[in-house]
Amino acid sequence: MDIRELKKLENKRKMNKGYMWALFCAILWGIWYIPGTIIWAVPPFDAMWITIADPTGAELYENATAATLVVAVLISAFNALTVIIALLVWNGVLGKFGEMKRTLKEFHPCSKWFFLASIFGGPIAILGSFIAIGFVGAGFAAVAALLYPVIGSILAYYWYGEKISKRAALGIFVIIAGGLTIFVGGAIAEIQAGDIAWIGYIGGLMAALGWGIEGAIAGKGLDIAEPDVGITLRFLGENLIWWIILVPAVALAGYPIFEYAIAAFNPLSIMVLGFAGITFGYCYVCWYKSFPLVGVGRGQGIGNLYGLCAVIFMYLFLAQVPAWTVLVGGALCVLGSFVMISEETGELESLRGE
Amino acid sequence: MAGQRPIKFRLLELFSDEKEHWNNEIVTQMQKEYNMNSNFGRDSLNFDILELASGGMLKSVESKVDEDGVYKKGFLLHKYVITDFGKVRASDACLEYV
Repeated sequence: MDIRELKKLENKRKMNKGYMWALFCAILWGIWYIPGTIIWAVPPFDAMWITIADPTGAELYENATAATLVVAVLISAFNALTVIIALLVWNGVLGKFGEMKRTLKEFHPCSKWFFLASIFGGPIAILGSFIAIGFVGAGFAAVAALLYPVIGSILAYYWYGEKISKRAALGIFVIIAGGLTIFVGGAIAEIQAGDIAWIGYIGGLMAALGWGIEGAIAGKGLDIAEPDVGITLRFLGENLIWWIILVPAVALAGYPIFEYAIAAFNPLSIMVLGFAGITFGYCYVCWYKSFPLVGVGRGQGIGNLYGLCAVIFMYLFLAQVPAWTVLVGGALCVLGSFVMISEETGELESLRGE
Repeated sequence: MAGQRPIKFRLLELFSDEKEHWNNEIVTQMQKEYNMNSNFGRDSLNFDILELASGGMLKSVESKVDEDGVYKKGFLLHKYVITDFGKVRASDACLEYV
């Protein structure tokens, strides 16, 4: 084999590795919707919702909206907490604490990007997701966010000239079309039932915008940082936002959030939250690790298969039977990712335009 | 100061002399500076170089097969040089180019 061919092979291997990370991300992300759904029914979160929603005990549930929002804040905060624990274990095993300290110190050139990413990823995307789960359902939440690679790849293209081939763009488009098909069935059923939870839809929009913007910003920081370290700093930022700013703000607004935060330290809730932390934490590791190898657009495109994975896992574990639209949409998602993966990437040495 | 800045900063710094460097030479030097002497440390450093190249900050100008096993026998060795974009990102990181 001559050098040219070896080089092509090496490039191909690199791209495949990136796609593999993105696929792991999709699977773990899909699994995350299981604990993300169950946690709402686990004490103290179930009791917390009822106490806030129905303060008089007359079963009028006059504060249901506020209750769902407050519970979503507390769940998101705990999600961030268990994710950072999972990530610290990961970095510890890889022996990257030294690099983490070095990167953290470089706030201006580097770690600021991860803190900025945490604002869009955390209080916007993840909270939005939990709002969508709480108001509409996990299936809707999972697919609503499917539009995020459009935002991510457009930003990455205009902001730092990330190359997106026509083939990759087509793949992203087909995956998104598939995702939307999955979601249409549920939306029609909800509209027919006359029960349109508009806050839930805003939550879905927050998830799509937040994750898209986060990806593009993170890509900027990842230029000059290691992904394992970058993602941990991003969650460090998110924990600060939740536990220093938002949770106390909710408490100041008069909601008994601290009381329930303490009550959350019970075995069942720790188990479910721990499961959420492990799946979400490692899904994020995979996401960030794929970006430098295949680019933000492609990484997010393949990562988008989580929509399909979520539907499958919720069928298997929570017996939520998918509608026919889901099957059509799922097929489109798979097709779209094959369009992307089958692209000839041997010549693609760099993801950026010179 | 060796071992005091994040790994990718230091890598860009080493390339900021605008000369061409073989990946194995850079990896060996970095292993010493950061005390990453295991095979895992070596591969992890090489991967960082790969990510920099993938991100368009370095570009490969020459490649050869590692016949003698100076790095990993049978694998490709790459000679990299910093790109203009790499210089911009290096200056963002407060390195040589201001």
